[in-house]
Amino acid sequence: SIATSAASGAELQREQHARSVLRETFLRCLLSMNNKKVRFHMHGKVKVEATFGASDIDVLNFQVSDLHTPIGVQKEALIRSQDVISFTVDE
Amino acid sequence: MQGSWSLLGPLSWTGYINKQVNVTAGTDESHQGWLVTVDPVSASLVLVDFREDGGTSMEVVMGHAVENVTVLHEADEVTLDRLRTSVLSPATCSLDP
Repeated sequence: SIATSAASGAELQREQHARSVLRETFLRCLLSMNNKKVRFHMHGKVKVEATFGASDIDVLNFQVSDLHTPIGVQKEALIRSQDVISFTVDE
Repeated sequence: MQGSWSLLGPLSWTGYINKQVNVTAGTDESHQGWLVTVDPVSASLVLVDFREDGGTSMEVVMGHAVENVTVLHEADEVTLDRLRTSVLSPATCSLDP
């Protein structure tokens, strides 16, 4: 959800600038994770490993490869971000 | 501040940038690291941790799971430099295709 506030023009401009800086940095972070091994911490104490691909623009899904699940390795998969608590990359 | 993290908005999130934070998320999970950015769309936090072996780990905590965020430390000059150069150097993550 995008937080908005009814503010004056200058305030709104400041907010929009902050929003764009934050978003650009976030996209750069996602980009730096491309093709790297990530560990997903999911709800219910489930932890899975995969190779990070990308996320869609609203960050609703993550595209991953070689997802190691308890019943085998899934070559390509989409993970719903609602099921994820966090994910980590070690470099 | 429970459940309100995603409602704070960009100007408030910016105040947490480059600070070492403790984030509680999900059930009894806590995550620590230097806050690099917050995605304004999903309110997800990007945390960076410098390990003792010289490596860096980057963690994204999903905004929907965040329960609480507390500031632990402010970054000193050395850490600021490290955050700027090692994590987001344009060479490692250019937005150009």
